[in-house]
Amino acid sequence: MKNIFSHPEKSIAAKLIIATGLLIVVVSFIFWYATLKKQEKDVMSIALTYGDSFVKFTKRSTRHSMLTYNSEETQGVLETLGTPEGVQRVRIYNHQGNVLFSSNLKNVGTPVDRTSLACTSCHSDLGKSAALIPDPVKWSVHKDEKGSTSLKMVSEIPNEPDCYNASCHVHPREQEVLGFVEADLSLALLDEALFKQGLALTVYVIVFVLAVSMFLGIINYKIVTHPVHKLSKGMERVAGGDLDYSVQINSVDEIGVLASTFNSMIKDLKAARDQREKWTQTLEDEIAKKTEEIRKTHVNLVQTEKLASLGRMAAGVAHEINNPLTGVVTFAHLLKKGFAPDSPQAQDLDIIIEQSERCSKIIKNLLTFARATPSEKGSVSINDVLNRTVFMVQNQEKFHHIKFNVVLENSQFIIVGDSSQFQQIFLNMFINAADAMGGRGSIHVATRSATEEGKPYVEIEFTDEGTGIKPEDMPKLFEPFFTTKPVGKGTGLGLSVSHGIVKHFGGNIKVKSEVGKGTSFFVRLPLQEK
Amino acid sequence: MKKILVIDDEAIVRTSCERTLVPEGYELRLATNGREGIAFMEKEQFSLVLLDLKMPDMDGIEVLNKINTTWPDTKVVMITGYSTVDTAVQALRLGAYNFIEKPFTPDTLLGAVKEAFEK
Repeated sequence: MKNIFSHPEKSIAAKLIIATGLLIVVVSFIFWYATLKKQEKDVMSIALTYGDSFVKFTKRSTRHSMLTYNSEETQGVLETLGTPEGVQRVRIYNHQGNVLFSSNLKNVGTPVDRTSLACTSCHSDLGKSAALIPDPVKWSVHKDEKGSTSLKMVSEIPNEPDCYNASCHVHPREQEVLGFVEADLSLALLDEALFKQGLALTVYVIVFVLAVSMFLGIINYKIVTHPVHKLSKGMERVAGGDLDYSVQINSVDEIGVLASTFNSMIKDLKAARDQREKWTQTLEDEIAKKTEEIRKTHVNLVQTEKLASLGRMAAGVAHEINNPLTGVVTFAHLLKKGFAPDSPQAQDLDIIIEQSERCSKIIKNLLTFARATPSEKGSVSINDVLNRTVFMVQNQEKFHHIKFNVVLENSQFIIVGDSSQFQQIFLNMFINAADAMGGRGSIHVATRSATEEGKPYVEIEFTDEGTGIKPEDMPKLFEPFFTTKPVGKGTGLGLSVSHGIVKHFGGNIKVKSEVGKGTSFFVRLPLQEK
Repeated sequence: MKKILVIDDEAIVRTSCERTLVPEGYELRLATNGREGIAFMEKEQFSLVLLDLKMPDMDGIEVLNKINTTWPDTKVVMITGYSTVDTAVQALRLGAYNFIEKPFTPDTLLGAVKEAFEK
């Protein structure tokens, strides 16, 4: 597309200009040629008229001297007639071709060339004098030695009574043609005039052609080249992706229509592109959302699997430790029998037995949380389980100084499962809350309906007024064996086991915490859809 | 004769039983796995079997079934870890006389054995 503008000779304008220019040149040349020819013809006809007059004038001037057979006078007249500029030569010769009189005295008495116009204009064959050309042309044009045109006119002198009755008796009555008057006239002046006119005409035609071509070029540029250039520039911009561009052509001709069509096409293109971009964006957002969901699911899956394998490992390890512990306990007891009950040795052995039992207890706890209990499934009311658990912990020493603020929504919240598992979750939450508050403060418990992705859930809130969770601890909250409690107080399994149970039921746990103010756990469990 | 067979893959558990029960007048045979235990029983008669629930090769429940069908008069007390309480309950249903949890004290073991012999 660019090539048209880098090669202007290939553009429509150039083609149009060349085509019309050529047409004008051809027409002008024909006009120029015809005009020149016509002028030449006109000039020639005037020359002939004058030539004819000159010949007639010569005849009249010499008539008297001829009739009186005064040769000297005739010769004198001819010499006079030959003086003016333009008259090259005037001659009179007889039918046999002998020059009798001439403006140039030297010619007198010389024969006329047999091929000259005087002979050939009438006789087609000089051998047979009777063969005459019916309509003789009595003039000819030729170039003289100087290169200028010269007109030769020949006119016969017919016999008449005055001639054959004259006293000289030179011409018999039967003779039809007595002789000829021949005049050679120079047309040099006419040549010059014609040449000047021709030159003027040529200049005029050239100026005309140039002017018309220039005018056409300008018009073409204004109404074709320039707007088309604009259009093509616009198309280039649009092709390059700039859809905010519009072509500014306000003419009402075809190119104007093309431009406005083009502009509305760009508008449509832009609208389509915007729409497409919007779709792409929506799609990208959707993909990002789904990817995030998949990632979360994957993380949860890994977490669950991690927990499960940890549970299996813990169970195996715990079980194995029970065997050596059995030995330790048995032999400590056996050893103790050999000492008096008050002896320091017996007291030391008591410590061994006590610590072994502590180990045993730790293992029991570990196994309680880690094992996958084949549970008794049934319809469980979350509100009932909560109430029971609150009632149970309120009677524990640990919770004597804690106030419970229970706000349960008036709904059944039925879930099919093992109530002891839910109780375990709630118990963990209460123990954690009590530990966080140092055994003093109030725990807010609430249940409410919730919806996630169009499905019904029950949300159970546990809010304490404790120390809160440090932001850096948040990601590790549900990891097994992660604890902030003093050594021996927590196993670090409570939340991870709770999380495992909640996950098992398809729920989730969310945490909000502010250091120094307290923590809220939101446990969500899916309800059966009605 | 108070003859007891202990079947446990753990040497320390077997030794603990031996050191606790032999001074109390019981005669003990010690087997390291179910197959060995069954072989002992085919040769001698036992009043009581202390049977570990979790063993490689032949499981405690398998051995229990075999004893129940072949020697119905022999009582079986299962020795179990806490994690297998449910299995222990299952063992009771299958005909075990009682079970004790590991780690056990000499008193617990002795109590369970005495109880088995008294009834």
